[in-house]
Amino acid sequence: MIVLDPNGEKLNLMPLNVGPTHPATHHCIRLLAALDGETIVAGVSEIGYMHRGFEKMVERGTWQQVIPYTDRLNYCSAMMNNIAFCRAVENMFGVEIPERCKVLRVIVNELSRINDHFICVAAAFQDLGGTTPFMYAFNPREEIMCIWEKLTGARLTNSFARIGGLYRDTYDGFEREVLAALDSTEKALKDLHACLDRNRIFLDRTVGIGKISKEHAISHGWTGPCLRACGVASDLRKDEPYYDYETYDWEVVVGTQGDANDRLQVRLAEIEESVKIVRQALKRLTPGPVDIVDPRIRVPAHKLAYQDMEGLIGRFKSVYEGIRVPEGEYYSASECANGELGFTIVSDGSGHPYRIKVRSPSLNHVAAFSEIVEGLTLADSMATLPGLNMIAGELDR
Amino acid sequence: MGNVAEKPNIITTSLDFLVNWGRTNSLWPFPYGTACCAIEFMSTEVGRYDLSRIGSEYVRFTPRQSDVLLVAGTISYKQAPILKRMYEQMAEPRWVIAMGACASSGGFYDCYCTVPGIDHIIPVDVYIGGCPSRPEAFFDAMFDLQKKIKDESYMKQRAERVKEQLEMIKAKTAEAKAEAQEFAREKISLAKDFVVEKEQELVKKAQFWKE
Amino acid sequence: MESVEKTEKIAALLEEKFGAKRDAKARWDVAVVVAAEYLPNAVEFLKNDPDIRMDMLVDIAGIDYLTYPNHEGPRFAVSYAFKSTVNQGCRLRLKVLVGEDCPKVPTLTGFYDSADWLEREVYDQFGIVFTGHPDLRRLLNHVEFVGHPLRKDYPAQKRQWLSTNDFLLPELEKRLEKLGYRIVQRSKEVLPNDDEFLEGSIRE
Repeated sequence: MIVLDPNGEKLNLMPLNVGPTHPATHHCIRLLAALDGETIVAGVSEIGYMHRGFEKMVERGTWQQVIPYTDRLNYCSAMMNNIAFCRAVENMFGVEIPERCKVLRVIVNELSRINDHFICVAAAFQDLGGTTPFMYAFNPREEIMCIWEKLTGARLTNSFARIGGLYRDTYDGFEREVLAALDSTEKALKDLHACLDRNRIFLDRTVGIGKISKEHAISHGWTGPCLRACGVASDLRKDEPYYDYETYDWEVVVGTQGDANDRLQVRLAEIEESVKIVRQALKRLTPGPVDIVDPRIRVPAHKLAYQDMEGLIGRFKSVYEGIRVPEGEYYSASECANGELGFTIVSDGSGHPYRIKVRSPSLNHVAAFSEIVEGLTLADSMATLPGLNMIAGELDR
Repeated sequence: MGNVAEKPNIITTSLDFLVNWGRTNSLWPFPYGTACCAIEFMSTEVGRYDLSRIGSEYVRFTPRQSDVLLVAGTISYKQAPILKRMYEQMAEPRWVIAMGACASSGGFYDCYCTVPGIDHIIPVDVYIGGCPSRPEAFFDAMFDLQKKIKDESYMKQRAERVKEQLEMIKAKTAEAKAEAQEFAREKISLAKDFVVEKEQELVKKAQFWKE
Repeated sequence: MESVEKTEKIAALLEEKFGAKRDAKARWDVAVVVAAEYLPNAVEFLKNDPDIRMDMLVDIAGIDYLTYPNHEGPRFAVSYAFKSTVNQGCRLRLKVLVGEDCPKVPTLTGFYDSADWLEREVYDQFGIVFTGHPDLRRLLNHVEFVGHPLRKDYPAQKRQWLSTNDFLLPELEKRLEKLGYRIVQRSKEVLPNDDEFLEGSIRE
């Protein structure tokens, strides 16, 4: 198309369609860019290619049946979403979960965060053409996956948390294996830093690319590592602490420039902080129950169903009718790997959720994508996108 | 040509064997990964599981250089036309693997926006269960696909293709002939009409002058 | 617990200035119901008041009360969740009730950039029109979709096929014009191909 630019000069622009079937766009976001040579003059993006109706589906089941759906929101750190949802419902019940459950949830949360950040950094390298860090990052990830398999029975979509507790307690040797996984995580971090910190090609392609200012990011509703990379020390684990996060010794990682490199570096530094938290949490892990004892909320233990009448009735009712969450509306937010994962929950007091709206961090990040790539070259836009860690399940729900 | 291939002999079978050997051991996948299954596919590619062991050395992100379309993840109605176009861009021979519950049947997303299985859009060779399917299951599917390819006969397919083409050429020629004849007939009738008209005009004129 | 006191104070201020009412349904956080015509003023106050500084619009959720037991009043509601990055831990929800016959709410795109896509999503899922929105299109569903899927009277399994790819060039031209470019000659539009229609799709 031929256009006149603001100075009145004639330009011949080429509209180019990038995605959704492009390796860097993960088949889920489409960018239509007007190119002047190789520079993107203007761009519009389109999402919704992975919309699978989370919000309609959850209205048809019970509250417990929402948990498997939350797994598939951010599938790189599935258990974090379970825990965020269960926490929201527990807040509505106004119950406090046992100490051991809290600590286990912190461990699971932070290990999931490590997993998620590793995938993000690995994918970013892969998109820029570096295969080696991809292999490095997946080694500790596989180890953590093995722990998940023993703990929950699944590799990726675990559905581990339950409203009012966890699916089960840990197995023998859990602590030992987590510690081993943390060691290999640290080794992989070292390797990744060796690949990344002084790599001229990588730095040239990411430093100063895809910059966004602090104010702009806040106005776009950015949260999590992407906002912290812009220099805003905002972390819900510190600001609105839950599960005693404020009592652990760790720092909020903050970037300086808000460019693509910062976003990846912040993620790598956050892995270090997560390792710290997990090490401390393992020391706090004391024996005790993981479920609350309340037949209204948590299903009574299986053996009770065979022994006395109340146990049987409780089990029957909570499976067939579902738990009855008190009537009302609530917005609850938790700090997930990508940022603030919020659930706006409307309950009508029956056994089924009336409406659950997911506030996904990815949506806000991707909304700004077409704006921040304007003025960059096409190759740079592909270096910007992986740093935003767009996860389709969360983006389109 | 057709007669030779229909009765297998030592030349065609050994040629089949050679072609299938090559095809089974160099299946380059095109990962159409939209959701959770794509992450499991990434695990399959790297270190521990290593997809390169069975000859799927390169993961190609272009349909023109790949043999297997690997649909990993939910396909929504918004994505369906794109998937179909991708499949049509792939060169023969091509195979499709539906990885995971969502691609096979829609999974537990039984809803206004998800396609209930990609077989509504494109043909599928191997289905894998699981949500998401484990890397081992993925390998199993690849072995199944290899077995399937080994049973295929290249010569037979080729003969069939040639036959089809011949028939198509024949049909096209007949069509073209019929068209040409029709055209000629039309032309002739037009010319005849023209002559008749002229004659009539002349007759009219002659009558006019007579009067 | 300072933040809770602070939000209570903000809610009281909103009640006083904009005739807002505390939402009785919000039992675990602070939410106030504002009339649609006062929404921009209330948001401007929340965003710019030096003590409050609600500088982030976190979420917009549409709610359909069609089958809600014992519900009185308008059918729809839009719930805006705000948060402050300056006063950490300070959160507030604003709710606007919208009737079925005229589902219109003023847009917040002038105040927050995030409102753009969030409002488009609510429009897509509920059919609530945000007046003044620069580009109100569907966000998650495809262009040929008829109806609004998250309304309670939309059957969950009513599937709608898309016949061909959607087309973004007009939006790109709009974006170029917004950046100060003037289009002299349009690009040759690639029209949808007739062979690409899928089985079961509706053609009009």
